[in-house]
Formats: sequence, structure tokens, C-alpha cells
Amino acid sequence: MRTLVYSLQTAFKSLWHEKWINFLTILSIGTSLLILSAFVGVTLNADSVLKRWAKSFGLVVYLDNTLNRKAEDRLKDFFQQDPDVLEVKYISKDRAIRELHEILGTNASILEELEGNPLPSSFELRLRRELLKPEIVKRKAGEIKQINGVEDVQYGEKWLSSLNTLSKAMKIIAAFLGCAIFTAVIFISYNTIKIFFFARRHEIETLKLLGATRSFIRLPFLIEGLFIGIFGGIISCLALFGVQSLIVYKGADILPSIRAIIVSLPVQAYILVPLAGAFMSLIGSFIAVGKIKY
Amino acid sequence: MIQFSGVSKYYDKEIIFKNISFTIEKGDLVYVTGPSGVGKTTLLKLIYCAELPDEGHINVAGWDLKKLRQGTIPYLRRNIGVVFQDFRLLPNKTVFDNIALTLKIQDMHPKEIKENVDEVLKNIRLKHKSYLFPLQLSGGEQQRVVIARAIVSRPSVLLADEPTGNLDSDTSAAIMKLFKDINAKGATVLIATHNETLFQGSGRRTIHLRDSQIEKETIG
Ligand SMILES: Nc1ncnc2c1ncn2[C@@H]1O[C@H](COP(=O)(O)OP(=O)(O)OP(=O)(O)O)[C@@H](O)[C@H]1O
Ligand SMILES: [Mg+2]
Repeated sequence: MRTLVYSLQTAFKSLWHEKWINFLTILSIGTSLLILSAFVGVTLNADSVLKRWAKSFGLVVYLDNTLNRKAEDRLKDFFQQDPDVLEVKYISKDRAIRELHEILGTNASILEELEGNPLPSSFELRLRRELLKPEIVKRKAGEIKQINGVEDVQYGEKWLSSLNTLSKAMKIIAAFLGCAIFTAVIFISYNTIKIFFFARRHEIETLKLLGATRSFIRLPFLIEGLFIGIFGGIISCLALFGVQSLIVYKGADILPSIRAIIVSLPVQAYILVPLAGAFMSLIGSFIAVGKIKY
Repeated sequence: MIQFSGVSKYYDKEIIFKNISFTIEKGDLVYVTGPSGVGKTTLLKLIYCAELPDEGHINVAGWDLKKLRQGTIPYLRRNIGVVFQDFRLLPNKTVFDNIALTLKIQDMHPKEIKENVDEVLKNIRLKHKSYLFPLQLSGGEQQRVVIARAIVSRPSVLLADEPTGNLDSDTSAAIMKLFKDINAKGATVLIATHNETLFQGSGRRTIHLRDSQIEKETIG
């Protein structure tokens, strides 16, 4: 317990005494963590956009033009009972032509050339979100197409697959970036603690001769590393909060609804980032003092 | 308390000790002397485990130093107070903190530390300079601080390497009296010196080193 007090005192003295090296170290760690958490923030926002899009993603099932109303209702029941389908929306051929009228507006007169209504009735199916993978959707569309009375199935195939690639790519980049920054932070604090250790090697030699244990000698360095990591994390949190506020503040001029759209990092992140910094920095310090021998 | 049996020590190819044996009983006060470079400091280093013998066995306070685990060395050293020939004071700590360090390492309560440090400071007559830094002291004053640091934890063994090297004869006499008092309280004391006036006429056992051997033992 008293050793802990002593170690804390020694660590804080060293933090203050070597404030410039420490400041630069904290800044480097802070920057690294900022890059990481900013990327996580971007990924979160991209993911929320993807989710938004995915919500409106649907399969359009065009029905055979010869199908009567009863057969169409049977098909509707069939789709509604399918566990993969979240929602079924029926668009009658009458409604389809009306919508087309609206879209064409003043050009609608060209429709009058047509005999009767050439548009088929259709269902818009919304699938469960977990199924929104290109292969699964493709298979599902193929199955539906086989059903009697279904003329054709259409969906945004290209759009879905690029959406998927994008989300996969972001996850891979996040993993890589995470590893790289993990290593970088460890190395940064390893280096700094190593320098401190080297600068105090004569003092450490004397401490050993006076009967100091390994932990007595190491603890101050580990505590110092720990605090360097925490401070780095705090700095990156402050910077992140600043950047985010700026985006919301400035962005509100361009896109007034930005406040509702942007996903900010969860509150836990502001605890998690300093903890992560502390953890990484502690590992670096451990490696740095690992070579203290008798 | 301290036992050397058949100890040899080499630095690279240079022979420092060749097969030396001697025993120092608990509560003894013994001098080690010999010309400069003969190995007096090395002998003390072997005792506090800063050097290991190449041959033979050393036993200190019941510990066989050859079998000592790395993690146990600190606990051996807490029983041994050392007055280093090169002082080894920490320049960035005050006189008080330098002396207190020994006790902090042993996890003593701050209040007790203050009492103990104040007491030795009085003994070495440096109480008024306790808040100065080592470099603000004279050579002799620094030497007294080193002595204070070595005795403050009341070790059972006290090793003093040239403890009066920087002291005038009056201060020397005072320091020697300090060692004798500590010895009288039961500590085993080993003093390495080439200052013959210390041991001549002291009536104490003196080990003379020469050419890697114990040349002779005398009673001063
Ligand atoms: N770490 C070392 N590596 C190599 N040689 C060493 C080392 N330490 C001491 N020596 C050599 O060992 C010999 C004995 O040194 P030591 O310091 O024990 O002598 P000493 O009797 O204490 O001398 P003095 O009276 O001058 O203090 C010297 O010749 C020295 O050069
Ligand atoms: Mg010497």
C-alpha cells in the first residue's frame, strides 16, 4: 500500500519532470486513438445510412396479367406466411397506371394511345434485414420466380452487392486500422518508458543495492505508462467531441436535418477510449521494464 | 555471520582472489586492509551479492549466496548496510530523502521513517542540512550521509568501504565511535580501509589482503 503511494508519487514527479517528452507522447497516443475512434465514428454513420437504405429495400414481384383477383389474394396470403418476409404491399394494376400518370405528368397523353392497361399488378416484399445479402436475395428471387402466377421478380441487384462490399470493406479497414494503432500506441509508450528507464538506470542500480524489489522499481514506470495512456485517450476524446460538434454545427447550415441523421459515438466510448489507451500503453510499459534485471 | 570457503574471483582473466577462506562471527568488528586495487571493494561486493564468486561458497547471515534466487536478493540486502566507496547518493533527492529511501524500500511507515532519519541525522551532526541536495555538501558531509543511509535501518551486517576517506581525524574518530556503538548493539561490522590509523591500536581483528590471497591476520 505504502509502496503504491510511493510509486504514484514517483510516477507523477516523473510525469511533471519530463513534461515535454510526456506531452509529446500523450499527443502521439491521442492522435492515434483519435484516428481510430474517428474511423469508428465514420463506420457507425455509414452503417446507419446503410440501415436506412436497407429498410427501403424491396423485391418487386410482377404478377401474371391474366391472374384474377382471387388468385392474387392467395399469393398475398402465401407471401405473408413466409417467415422471411416482413411486409407485403399490394399494388394493383390500376394503381400502377395511376402512379405512372402522376410520374409522366403532362406527358401522360402518350398513355392514351394504349389499349387497356398493359401494366401488371405487383407485390412489394420487404425481407428481414439479416437476409439482405446478395446471394440470399438472389436465391429468394429465383424461388419466387418459380411460383405459378409470378411473371418476374426485380430488385436492385447491383446496388445491394455494392452496399455489401462497402460494409465489408469498412469492417476490414477498421480491423486493420485497429491492429496498426494498437501496435503504434504500444510502441510509442514502450519507447518513452524505455527512455525514462535508461535515464534513471544509475538510480535504479542504487535502489537495487539498497534492497528494492523488482516491483518496487517497476511500479512507478508502469503507473506512468498507465497515465500517459489515459491522458492520451482523454485528449483524443476531447478532440473527437470537438470535431463532431463542429461537423454538426457547420453541417446544420447545409443540411438542417443533420442533427437527426448523424450518429454520435455512444457515451461509453468516452470511457472506453481512455481505457483502451491505458491498456495499450500499459502493455508497452510492461515490455519496456521487462528488461529490468538483477 | 559471514563465511568464505575456497572463494576465487576473476574479472575477465585478471585474478582478484584465489581460493580464500575466512569466517567473521556474529557481533564481530573486523577490518580488511591491503594496497589499492587488491580487491577490498570486490570482497564487499561478493558479500552483498553485487558480484558472484567464480569458485567456492559464500554464506551470509545463513543464506548460501550461490543458491540465492534473484527474487530473494533484495531481502538479503535489507540485512546489510553498505557504505559505498563511491557514495551512490541520488543527486535529485535531498539528504533526508536519500537516507529515508532505505526505509521506504522496506515499506516503513512515514512517521517512523521521520523519527529514524532524524535520529541518524543527529548522530552524524547534519540535521541542519537535511533539506540540501548531495551536491550542496562537502565531500566529508556526503560521506556522513552515506554512512547514515547505511545504518538507519539497523542492519545486522554493516559493510563500510573506506568510510573515513574524506574525513578529518576528529570526524573520523566520531564516525568510528558510531560504528563501535552499532557493533556493541549486536551488528557485525566489516570495515575496508587502507588507513592504518583506524585499526592500529584498535585491538580488533584485521585481515590483510595481498596478491589475491589473505597475507596475514593481525590483532591491531
Ligand atoms: N567490474 C570490473 N570489471 C573488471 N575489473 C574490475 C571490476 N571491478 C574491479 N575490477 C578490478 O579489480 C581490482 C580490484 O578492485 P577493487 O575495487 O576491489 O580494489 P580495492 O582494493 O577496493 O581498491 P581501492 O583501495 O583503490 O578502493 C582492480 O584491479 C580493478 O581494476
Ligand atoms: Mg575499493
